[in-house]
Amino acid sequence: MCRKGIVPTRCAMAEVFYLDGEAIPFRAGQNVLEAVLEHRQESSIPYFCFHPAMGSLGACRQCGVMVYPHDGKHPPRLTMACLLPASRDLQLGRAEAKVQHEHQLISELLMRNHPHDCPVCDEGGQCHLQNMTVASGHAYREYEPEKRRYQSQELGPLIRQEMNRCITCYRCVRFYQDLAGGEDFGVFGSRDRVFFGRLEDGPLESPLAGNLAEVCPTGVFTDKVYHQDYLRPWDLEESAGICPHCSIGCNTRPGAARGHLRRVRQRSHGEINPHFLCDRGRYGFRYVAAEDRPRQAQAGGRRQDVDSVLDRLAARLAEGRSAFLGSPREDLDSNLALFALARVLDAPFAAFFEPWEEAKAREILALPHPPAPARISAYAEILVIGAVERVAPTLPLFLREAHDRGAAISLLRCLPSPLTALAGEDRLLPPADLLDAAWEWLGQRHHRPFLLLIDSESVGPELLHLLRREIGTWPDGSGILPVYRQGNLPGASFYAVDGHASRLRTALAGNDYDHLLALGQDPQEMDGLWWRSHGDIDLSLIDHRRSLSWDDVWLSLPCAALSERSGLYYNGEGRLQAAAVAYTPAREERHWRPELGPFPLAAGGALREELLPSPVELCRALAERLELSERWQERLRFYRDFLLRSAPRPGDPGVFLPEELRARFRLHSAPPPRATDQGWSVCRFSHYSEEELANGARELHSLAPASAAWIAPGQQDARQVRLRAVDGTSRTLPLRELPDMAAEVLAIPRAELVFLGLRPGDGVNPEWLD
Amino acid sequence: MSSPTSTAESVPTALLSRLQQVVEHAGSHPEAAVCDLLRILQAEYGWIDDDRLQLVARLCSISPVRVEELCTFYPLVLREDPGRHVLRICDSIACHLAGAPGLLQMAVAQSGVPLGQSNGRYSVLPHVCLGLCERAPAAFVDGKNTVAPLSAEALRQLLQDWERES
Ligand code: SF4
Ligand code: SF4
Ligand code: FES
Ligand code: FES
Repeated sequence: MCRKGIVPTRCAMAEVFYLDGEAIPFRAGQNVLEAVLEHRQESSIPYFCFHPAMGSLGACRQCGVMVYPHDGKHPPRLTMACLLPASRDLQLGRAEAKVQHEHQLISELLMRNHPHDCPVCDEGGQCHLQNMTVASGHAYREYEPEKRRYQSQELGPLIRQEMNRCITCYRCVRFYQDLAGGEDFGVFGSRDRVFFGRLEDGPLESPLAGNLAEVCPTGVFTDKVYHQDYLRPWDLEESAGICPHCSIGCNTRPGAARGHLRRVRQRSHGEINPHFLCDRGRYGFRYVAAEDRPRQAQAGGRRQDVDSVLDRLAARLAEGRSAFLGSPREDLDSNLALFALARVLDAPFAAFFEPWEEAKAREILALPHPPAPARISAYAEILVIGAVERVAPTLPLFLREAHDRGAAISLLRCLPSPLTALAGEDRLLPPADLLDAAWEWLGQRHHRPFLLLIDSESVGPELLHLLRREIGTWPDGSGILPVYRQGNLPGASFYAVDGHASRLRTALAGNDYDHLLALGQDPQEMDGLWWRSHGDIDLSLIDHRRSLSWDDVWLSLPCAALSERSGLYYNGEGRLQAAAVAYTPAREERHWRPELGPFPLAAGGALREELLPSPVELCRALAERLELSERWQERLRFYRDFLLRSAPRPGDPGVFLPEELRARFRLHSAPPPRATDQGWSVCRFSHYSEEELANGARELHSLAPASAAWIAPGQQDARQVRLRAVDGTSRTLPLRELPDMAAEVLAIPRAELVFLGLRPGDGVNPEWLD
Repeated sequence: MSSPTSTAESVPTALLSRLQQVVEHAGSHPEAAVCDLLRILQAEYGWIDDDRLQLVARLCSISPVRVEELCTFYPLVLREDPGRHVLRICDSIACHLAGAPGLLQMAVAQSGVPLGQSNGRYSVLPHVCLGLCERAPAAFVDGKNTVAPLSAEALRQLLQDWERES
């Protein structure tokens, strides 16, 4: 049977039923409304409470159809299409007057309390309620008494509530509680006084809360960030985007107009994100509007025009003492362009600055075809290692569905997790013990295919290596799906994970190289300890965010943000997807008397484009100045052709990295095992909003907690903790208690780990301070 | 709303252990004890304040939102201090036809505060069908006694008695 759920199940089309005489095909297990929605883009049956991910409820009574019994004895009867199982040769009527009248009456009933505030409602132009009301023919309000009124709540920076618009379809609470597992949102009251909200004002806690704006069929929940730069939806140009904020690679629909990117909504990909996005994916795009986003080229922290910075950079590259660093969060072509430049100059190149990270990337590339995220729910046994829900916040949707289907979920973790509610086995461990615990789990007898879901930020390459080497001995169909926050790790590192990072470091530490050109990666943010001890290296940066070193480096070149250019990204499955240009940044200006400041387009202003060059354009400019254009282009083409046997276009489902290309990474020997320290160790603390780019999204980032060191309650009375790096520098962090985390573990943010030169699992000697 | 960890102190130990016993009785489904806990606490204090709501959530291992959903669904659970007495007048269909709206109006006039609010001494609340339709209009006094049919005179007298209480 095809079941409801967030992952569509494929079943063979077989039979048909008839709606107003038209044959409608259906699959076993579908209801009539579902089949009609699948068959036609626009449903001829109005509906509200049905949602493909949540199924039917029968709450709104809007989807009535007339059923004509075959027996000829019973009269036709009106019934809800969403509650009527589709069956062969069913005869249904929708167009007849009685049914239409019913639809109209229900609309009228639902509109009875609805405010007439469409002109100021952000849902206007995309409102399901408005569409259905118009379609069902209810136009004039005849109900006299006063409308019911609510006091709406203040729900934080991302979602706005206007409760008076509610039609009680229960979609929001079904999504929030049943699918997202959120605990701070519910439905209160009874009869016609039901309220959907929180216990009290305050930001919604679920990392998936932004979906409320899409599941609510009216304007109760709307996108507060979109509201800041609002235009009617029909004025937006929408494109096919790919979320760059983690390895899942959810498909998005960015909406832009007049030179501004205004919102991101979900675009369904059946294998990746059938219905929903996480809030990092929805609101992270605002990094493009970060106040401190670099827009001016600089030399030694001083503004300079791009051309002279490029001239100086090219001259420096010509000296032959430069190394190159790519970036796993940059798109494929930008990385290849830089790689090709490094190759024609015969210079060292790495995609990672940290050999440890590079070794992990190699293990990730070596994995045999990981399963698609939406396939997680098909597994009957799942082992979750680390804080996967903090890294890829849509994963709990799939895990919850797996759980509802009866999957046995085991959890190995250091930090509190909402997944504990789903886990049959739940172990709190210091990071260094994760490998042994995983090994133990594998030692149990597993007859059915199983899945390992690994937060690769919490573990080392040795864990990935040892586990992936076992895959051959597992039941067929078993696999490993790693998750991490970089949007294009396989694409950036495909050509450069064979010890490239170590060679890059050796080169820079020696006498032959004294300059590093880095794209979208700031070495100080990757390994602060190493970078501090090599202070004589000149750094040039190409990026679209102001990284830690930006204002102090030798040269800095701002480039277009990811959404301002097209790009190709490999997600964690090794699926290559294409993102279209979402928008071209521009400023509205007056045509005349420019001294009076910007003037809206609508009133006769003009748009002045403010597009920065893409990394590929910058590489091309450098190749030209170095008179290496042709060789550079040739190289670039060669790499591209090799990797991209067929390049997907925006909107395509994506193409996979061929297995034989992955296979070459399987030959690597095991990374050295790490000493397991006794006593205190560190793990990475992160908030779901956190990711290098998304950190620049003001509204989203305002929800992240301030930097601190978290420990299990009752372990220490101290108020602060000091940690020392091997070079003698130290960091003092406020100490905070975090219930349900592993004992003798300090959870600290990535920036602090990097500063101290620590990796998750490393032992530390904390100094407790008052 | 007060923090979920500071609530246990507000309840005397004997009462707390009684509540815990009820939860234990629910075995592996502590959430099944929620109605009983609310009933016990309301009998003790007259209503469920935020602290008690948090306590119930913690004892039943469910989120406070879930407890509030239940409290706001059932009209017999009070989330505001009703004063010393509560009068519930049925306003469902039979009682509506038998004059409940008039009684409610009268009660509002006499109490001096809108329905659902306490005048310090008592509260008058509209209520769903009490199952006494054949003797409509029906009322429920202090969560204990029913009065059906409730006459205007009996209503006036009852509220007057409550007002006179010292
Ligand atoms: S708030 Fe929106 S989604 Fe929730 S019940 Fe009301 S109309 Fe439906
Ligand atoms: S951050 Fe990851 S999980 Fe969230 S929308 Fe983007 S790709 Fe999907
Ligand atoms: S969609 Fe069928 S009753 Fe709501
Ligand atoms: S309608 Fe009032 S008791 Fe039933």
